[in-house]
Amino acid sequence: MEDPDVVVIGAGADGPVTAARLAREHGLDVLVLEAGPWHGNSKWPKPHADAGGTVSTDPDDLDGKLMDEQYTHREADANDPTWGYLRVGPADHSRAPWFRNLHQNAFIWQVSAVGGTTAHYFGNHPRAYPHAIDEQEHWPDEISYEDLVPYYQLNEEVTSTQQAPMTAAEEVFIEGAENAGFDKLDSLNVTDTGWRPQPNAIEEPGRETSNGEPLDADYEGSFSYDDGFRGDTLVGDHFQGSSTPVDAPVRDKARKSSNVGWVPRALDATKDPEMGNVALRPNTFVTNINTNDGIGTIEATGVDVRDTWSGDTETIEADTVVLAAGCIESPRLWLNSDLPDDGWVGKGLTTHWFDWVVGVYDDETVAEINPEAEHMDPYIGQNSAARFDKPGVGGMEDIGMSPGLVSYADYLFTEAGYSFDTPVDPDEPWDTRGYVVGKELKRRMSNYKQTKALLILTDDLPRKENGVSLNDSFSDEHGAVPEIKWEPHPDDDAKRDELSRIAARIHKEAGAEHVHRCEWPPLLLHMQSSMRMGKVLDANAEAKNVNRLFVADHSALANGVGGPNPTNSGQALALRTADRIADLYY
Amino acid sequence: MTENDNPSATRRGVVKGIGGLAALSMSNATFANAQAALDDPLSSDPHTADTYRAIVDAIIPRTPELEDELGPEHVPGGLDVELEKFLIWDFNHFQEIRSELVSDGLDLLDDGMSRDRFEVTLDLDDFDDALDALMDLADLDVLDDDLNERALSERLTFGPVNRYKSVFKDLDTDTEGPAEFEVTVETDDEQYQRVLGNYPYAPAFPLVFDLVAAEFLAKGNNHDEPGDYDFPGGGTFTRLSREDRLRCLWTIVDGGAVDRLDDLIEPLIPDVGILKFVVMAVNGLHGFGYYTEWSGYGSTKTDTPNDRELEVDEGEVQSRQQTNYPGPADGYAADWRHAIEGGFDDPDADELELSDDLTGDDVVAGGDA
Repeated sequence: MEDPDVVVIGAGADGPVTAARLAREHGLDVLVLEAGPWHGNSKWPKPHADAGGTVSTDPDDLDGKLMDEQYTHREADANDPTWGYLRVGPADHSRAPWFRNLHQNAFIWQVSAVGGTTAHYFGNHPRAYPHAIDEQEHWPDEISYEDLVPYYQLNEEVTSTQQAPMTAAEEVFIEGAENAGFDKLDSLNVTDTGWRPQPNAIEEPGRETSNGEPLDADYEGSFSYDDGFRGDTLVGDHFQGSSTPVDAPVRDKARKSSNVGWVPRALDATKDPEMGNVALRPNTFVTNINTNDGIGTIEATGVDVRDTWSGDTETIEADTVVLAAGCIESPRLWLNSDLPDDGWVGKGLTTHWFDWVVGVYDDETVAEINPEAEHMDPYIGQNSAARFDKPGVGGMEDIGMSPGLVSYADYLFTEAGYSFDTPVDPDEPWDTRGYVVGKELKRRMSNYKQTKALLILTDDLPRKENGVSLNDSFSDEHGAVPEIKWEPHPDDDAKRDELSRIAARIHKEAGAEHVHRCEWPPLLLHMQSSMRMGKVLDANAEAKNVNRLFVADHSALANGVGGPNPTNSGQALALRTADRIADLYY
Repeated sequence: MTENDNPSATRRGVVKGIGGLAALSMSNATFANAQAALDDPLSSDPHTADTYRAIVDAIIPRTPELEDELGPEHVPGGLDVELEKFLIWDFNHFQEIRSELVSDGLDLLDDGMSRDRFEVTLDLDDFDDALDALMDLADLDVLDDDLNERALSERLTFGPVNRYKSVFKDLDTDTEGPAEFEVTVETDDEQYQRVLGNYPYAPAFPLVFDLVAAEFLAKGNNHDEPGDYDFPGGGTFTRLSREDRLRCLWTIVDGGAVDRLDDLIEPLIPDVGILKFVVMAVNGLHGFGYYTEWSGYGSTKTDTPNDRELEVDEGEVQSRQQTNYPGPADGYAADWRHAIEGGFDDPDADELELSDDLTGDDVVAGGDA
């Protein structure tokens, strides 16, 4: 695309949403630049081994069977932070990941690829708690929860968001939540405390099956799209990319990560003469945002890019630039471009002050709750199909995963030290806490099939001390590397403790024989608000100090949306931002 | 279940041009336990290999005592699948240093990354003990008051290492691209030399761990007496008991060890601050390595990712036998239900009736708008 109206930097969760809206509803030509690889596109048959094509504008380039091959569903192959196909780094797998300087016991979990971090998400699409939009002073008054609802509804329709299917593990969760006295919530607009099925961006299971029989324990048909299977296949491999049903075209994969839900829709625009065009270039790292000096304020005019395979650089001009590179790379690029910083660029990062509370169950307990299955089998069903909400404090999710991820999350990631030296307060409802190693680790992992965890999502609030800055020690080929810091506020700790106690109670009320609290250190996965509206951006999500520069990723969110997973909110806001861009400049 | 690693052409992609070679002599019988490492052309020096082996042994040990309780498949541990190679590979592929960004360090106005920071030569031959050599390297005459020099010096050993040198190989700052490093480790009668395409963190961290372990012992934080624990290639760190090794690592995260020792650590790695993150990784990588399918890549498990091939089915690897996970599948026939008949109650925006009090049940004030 020679002369795009808009350049979007980043094809993660939100960039493709913005691009699709700008092209489909507003007739604009949009070039989307992505630093990472593109899986499931025939122009890049070996995305980690050679450079492949340059740009794709045609939805027919998408190839679901190629995606099946590339997403091997293997844990280390997918998730190893150094060499997995879902990592932050150049597409070329013989090279190291992109370095971030982190001086903490903490872990940053993002993906550079078309689809971004939604390439390895559970599809959880709850809305923000209404109070986090309407009753928190960080959020600009110009946008109410009600203003966001139509965008949520559109996003939920495009991404097939619906209540998740409950399998054996969730039956145990529901038993615990109800025994603990919590009611079921029936609404997507959550203002009360209770449990509910997850709203997930995953098509209903077995909407059509290969033999016409419903998908249940008696189903004996194939799971292949070519044999007629449609919808979710109940595999808990979403952190490995989740390319199911196998053989399905990319757009018909059940989980609507943005490369499945939004990218095909964006490319469709190019084929429609009534709409604008969308072109997407992977393997293209933006190294600078260019500006013109205007009177009073400066104005974005385009970007400089670098091909991650060849090292070739070029300048691309556009009328409007949209930053959607994520909560770390968006502020890093801003700062490396020497754009004006009034003190809040990169600051106020929220991440949800997670914790992880593990229940181990004996066979009889599970069999009683769930006579058909007898096991919880954390790899069967969607990764996270049930949740608990407590607006004002946060929420929690029932989680199932494959064993490598479980061993890491349950027993090898903590800020509490080693359990053999870490005493447990007898008044607390957990039996152990901290790292579990040695003989005890092997014992616990031998019970993997009867183990499950509850993820705590605390409503942490933006604080200036937390965020992203440029590191003064290391540079890479794209400029100074990002330095990241996040520490909880004591109020965040108090909320997290409260939710962890509720989680332990739910486990115990369901009959868990052992409850372990991990006390996770910061896991930077649900990042929000490092370029937030109200500080760096105005209520249109346009930069206050640079005209024609917008931010359309989770960094534009004004806070952590109260604790619920941010994808639906980030995408809803990106849809609104696309409308604002068109209204203001086209 | 120890794989026999054969050298092959495909390996060159991983470690660009392995220079020189592994063992010039294998006469030292005290290294018998590191034999497997010595036979492998991709191997690390014994100090590096045995330090990571000591960590793997502490986190996922062999457990003959579980045989009666859980079955014979629960006996082998991380060392049986050479998990130390997983840690070493990951740390050696952790950060690329670009040639064009390195400054030779002569021009103070140059804002590139200073060459000094990435190069280190630790010579022990000319000094009475390891601490003296380290102090000389750090250009220190005295240590901070909170460090007991005598106790540290009594405790600190890098095992058989006489010389550790990690330098750029043929650095040309006029050329763009990843710089290569040459790492040399000399013991009394052996020399190990490797060329790596990224900063060689894997052999650098064990030197730090030995120093932290020496301080751990000097402060009397050990619960068990140090002794010989089957890792003769290692230094102070590997002389700790299993649990003390982990307690010692934890003093980096929670205990201020890095702050007290930063002057001494500084010459060994480019950035002392990342060590807390490294301790997270040292523990967490057992989850990404041992409990995944990694060991099933067999003889290809330290090749570049594109060249790895599963030699053992992912549902059959050692750890999967211990967890009963069958491996990935295309789908599962399982009973399921929705919990809310008819779906969520979701009015259009203009019919939305939110309650007057949206502040939630238990709002805790906080944050800084």
